[in-house]
Amino acid sequence: MSLERKDEHDHKGWMESRELTPIESVYLTVLIWLDRRLRVVDYLEILEDLYYKVNMQMPKSHTEQYNLDNKFWYWYPLYALGSFSTVAYVVAAISGALLGFYYAPAAAAADGSPTVAYDSVMLIMGQLNLGYFLRSVHRWAAQIMVAAVFLHMLRVYFTGAYKEPRELNWLIGIILISLTLVFGYTGYLLPWSQLSFWAGQIGVEMSLSIPLIGEWVAQLMFGGFTLSQATLQRMYILHVFFLPFITTAIIAVHIGIVWMQGIAEPH
Amino acid sequence: MSDNDTDDVRTDGSGTGIVSPDDETPAWSERKERTQGLSRLTYEYFERARREDQDLRQQSDYVERDVLAFPAWPHEMMRNIALTSFFVGMILFVSATLPPEMPNPANSGVTPAIILPDWYLYWSFGLLKLGPLNPELSILGGSKLMADRTYGVLANVVVVGFVAIVPFLNKGSARRPVEQPFWAAVGMSGVIFSLTIAALSIKNLAPIAPHLLFDLTFLVPIVSATITYAVLKTMREGYMFDLNRRYYRLRPPK
Repeated sequence: MSLERKDEHDHKGWMESRELTPIESVYLTVLIWLDRRLRVVDYLEILEDLYYKVNMQMPKSHTEQYNLDNKFWYWYPLYALGSFSTVAYVVAAISGALLGFYYAPAAAAADGSPTVAYDSVMLIMGQLNLGYFLRSVHRWAAQIMVAAVFLHMLRVYFTGAYKEPRELNWLIGIILISLTLVFGYTGYLLPWSQLSFWAGQIGVEMSLSIPLIGEWVAQLMFGGFTLSQATLQRMYILHVFFLPFITTAIIAVHIGIVWMQGIAEPH
Repeated sequence: MSDNDTDDVRTDGSGTGIVSPDDETPAWSERKERTQGLSRLTYEYFERARREDQDLRQQSDYVERDVLAFPAWPHEMMRNIALTSFFVGMILFVSATLPPEMPNPANSGVTPAIILPDWYLYWSFGLLKLGPLNPELSILGGSKLMADRTYGVLANVVVVGFVAIVPFLNKGSARRPVEQPFWAAVGMSGVIFSLTIAALSIKNLAPIAPHLLFDLTFLVPIVSATITYAVLKTMREGYMFDLNRRYYRLRPPK
């Protein structure tokens, strides 16, 4: 193989042989320049493909075909529960990030004296401008998200929307609802109040009672068999690092599949 | 579509005007058409799938349109913005009206009168209290196969597992509860059970005798499932009557 360059296509000559408007020639020059270096053509093909997919002729939806809008409009609010839980998730994420500026998951003693974590929540609620409201928003957004997710699942069940092509999304939904509950549980522990502590106690006992792997699970999730600084630290990292990434990714997949398969309409 | 279609020399002068630099260089179509192994299979499958799509598209119940439905901007977007602001506004309103309270700091020496998780975990918490249902096996000399708390955790797994496999148990194209009274009844009993088991989890707060509450936890879902089933069956009779009437109106019996 020689280092000498092979003959290229004479793109310049080709461009000159055609009558191009300035816009076209600038466009082509840029395109060729990029394509020489990045082989854009391959990706352009994908884009083109996408374009035609998006503009594809679509089948009539069921309600359209049988003109059922006049009968089913009162069900439609139930079909907003999925996006409502997504909205609540976004609100909780934003308010949670703001709360994270002031919260410190530290010094989890359990002798009835206020710890750093407890004090930082008290600071948010008592001293910080709008802090009380911020915590309230975070808490309510979480509650509403859980409620919306539950109701969303009921809607899907009772309209049979989990059936044939959508079984996979039902399973993903089960994973998502569990993740939502774990989200709520880890968040519940963070203020390190009496309720948090005893809910954590129940959690440790639950994981210890799993056969065979119970002790390992307790070590992994709670950092030991009794509640300590390690527990709070782990709950914090789960709540603000692992769960957000995992849940956001799975929500994206969930919504993506709904997008691809279309919404199961009332029959 | 036959193979020699692609071998025909184009004489109409259209096309891209791109010519391979030499015989060694694969043409664009050849480059796309992988020649061996899995990539070849993938290519063949995609071709088939594309043809299938094409066939489907040409069938008559497909409509031709330039735009899918409602224009995305501004109509759809304005609707989405309106709905989203309404929902967010609702969250803000609720959180301004009902701020959370803060209990005392954690104290491992003092067990509070009420130990509870958040409300949405009550059902799971209630399933942990199913100890009385844990069978005492005579084969083991009256002792239990597993500890009560293991039994509770297992109950959680069973419930979630059952919900997960529903799509694989209930097949077919029926969608409406009227069309499938049994599964609607199962769902109804599930909903009611999640409420009664939540009530069981706070039994020290519920103004009802614990034993009665325990029995009701399982009876009420069964009763409600029966009622749902009966009601839907009856409704289905009505639907069938309606359908039959329409049918015979269109095709009167001779």
